[in-house]
Amino acid sequence: MSVGFIGAGQLAFALARGFTAAGVLAAHKITASSPDTDLPTVSRLRKMGVNFTVSNKDTVKSSDVLFLAVKPPIIPFILEEVGPDIEPRHIVVSCAAGVTISSIEKKLSTFCPTPKVIRCMTNTPVIVREGATVYATGTHANVEDGKLLEQLMASVGFCTEVEEDLIDAVTGLSGSGPAYAFTALDALADGGVKMGLPRRLAVRLGAQALLGAAKMLLESEQHPGQLKDNVCSPGGATIHALHFLESGGFRSLLINAVEASCIRTRELQHLADQEEISPAAIKKTLLDKVKLESPSLSVASVNKVSLFTNKSKKN
Amino acid sequence: GKVPASNILASAPSNKNLDAWRELGCRTTHCNLEVVHRSTLVFLATKPHILPGVLEEIRPAVGSHHIVVSLVAGVTIQTLQRLLPPWTKVLRIMPNLPCVVQAGAMVFSRGNNAGDEEATLLKSLLSSCGLCEEVPESYIDIHTGLSGSGVAYVYLFAEALAEGAVKMGMPGALASRIAAQTLLGAAKMLLETGEHPAKLRGDVCTPGGTTIYALHQLEKGALRATVMDAVEAATNRACDMAKD
Repeated sequence: MSVGFIGAGQLAFALARGFTAAGVLAAHKITASSPDTDLPTVSRLRKMGVNFTVSNKDTVKSSDVLFLAVKPPIIPFILEEVGPDIEPRHIVVSCAAGVTISSIEKKLSTFCPTPKVIRCMTNTPVIVREGATVYATGTHANVEDGKLLEQLMASVGFCTEVEEDLIDAVTGLSGSGPAYAFTALDALADGGVKMGLPRRLAVRLGAQALLGAAKMLLESEQHPGQLKDNVCSPGGATIHALHFLESGGFRSLLINAVEASCIRTRELQHLADQEEISPAAIKKTLLDKVKLESPSLSVASVNKVSLFTNKSKKN
Repeated sequence: GKVPASNILASAPSNKNLDAWRELGCRTTHCNLEVVHRSTLVFLATKPHILPGVLEEIRPAVGSHHIVVSLVAGVTIQTLQRLLPPWTKVLRIMPNLPCVVQAGAMVFSRGNNAGDEEATLLKSLLSSCGLCEEVPESYIDIHTGLSGSGVAYVYLFAEALAEGAVKMGMPGALASRIAAQTLLGAAKMLLETGEHPAKLRGDVCTPGGTTIYALHQLEKGALRATVMDAVEAATNRACDMAKD
């Protein structure tokens, strides 16, 4: 089986790294493409032994499982470009936040009557094989296709199938989640440094504490509230600290964060559904390449598309 | 039904409160010494500033057969033992208001001369009023903050719940009854299932449902921290008052 990545950025690199480290796929069975060869991930992919090309079409031709690992606004362009090359054997896996299965199927159906589409939401820790992935299968993707993807993604962490309508919530929670954790770890380390620890040690200990706690929770039947209680001796240090967290509305901040990420994802999806994309938001070189490679896209139609003004980060 | 009313003797300087006792079938008197002479188990239930005077008064009549149980807020076992004969069996108890409806929460501690027998007796007697547990004396102030005053926090919460319902269109009286029943039911589930409150909370929260939306509001208001602050404040105040 060979896997292709349209896009050679953080996500493609993380997945390629994870798959090869897990041993489910040899690097030479992976192809990645991007018009932008300056990305730092491009050279890293090359070093791994992944086949790199600037031609998306080449990636499609040499893959069975095709990951769309580009930013959400780019998806429509990609689908227009590679649509003609999609064959019945292809399983198209979109990792783009907020891009619905139906929008992908709609775009592809002009080229291919029954495109196999799976939508997936993963996260960056796939790179260390501790990813959190969910997927939903499209109209023409059958059970085996889903299972195939699940096997791949399970090699780099946790993977489970969900109903598509839950994917935005997953984005808010585990998609963006690592960012919340990095922020927390940065702050915890600051706390350690304030109280006298060297930075490196503080970071190491903070990360290990979160890792350990997460592991305990995953391996325990107990409620996190109970596990928390188990750490809090009466009148002790921990309960004093927790009181501070509660006073600061720690819990509500986290709830707010997950909610905001989920809602933003839905907003972006909404905007995408309206097919409004502004040229200004896409790097000029990228736009030129797209124009070059998709003669069917007239300049007029490209100018009609107006986008979200900020090139949003994945997730 | 632990003790027949006729075996209970209460004393007070005036008749103001004694009528209520008589109505229950208890005997009454204006003489504190009489209570001590005619009882084995003597409860001290005066206001804190009255107590020293009362102890001085009854001291001569207190014997080694007596069990003296103080309900007086802020008066330590050390103080009690200092003001009573050295052989006195002293216990200190902190109840809370709902003892009145036999759903109280009480903690007690023993003095130097009070042994297992006295503790067991007290516990069995008071379990008729609710939960009764022996604790180290240092927990008594905490109990005040948690449950003595805690009852008021619950009343406040119940009032607020009802007000929310009234705002949304429900008549006040009905809202109040439902609020109270909700608290009662939730507390009952906690006590009977023995499950962690966080788990029970999660059980009520359907994904994307009404409860989780409401809980988010509570978290935004830092309710947890505020409640912790309240318990802390009451406990600290109890400690301070005891020092006076």
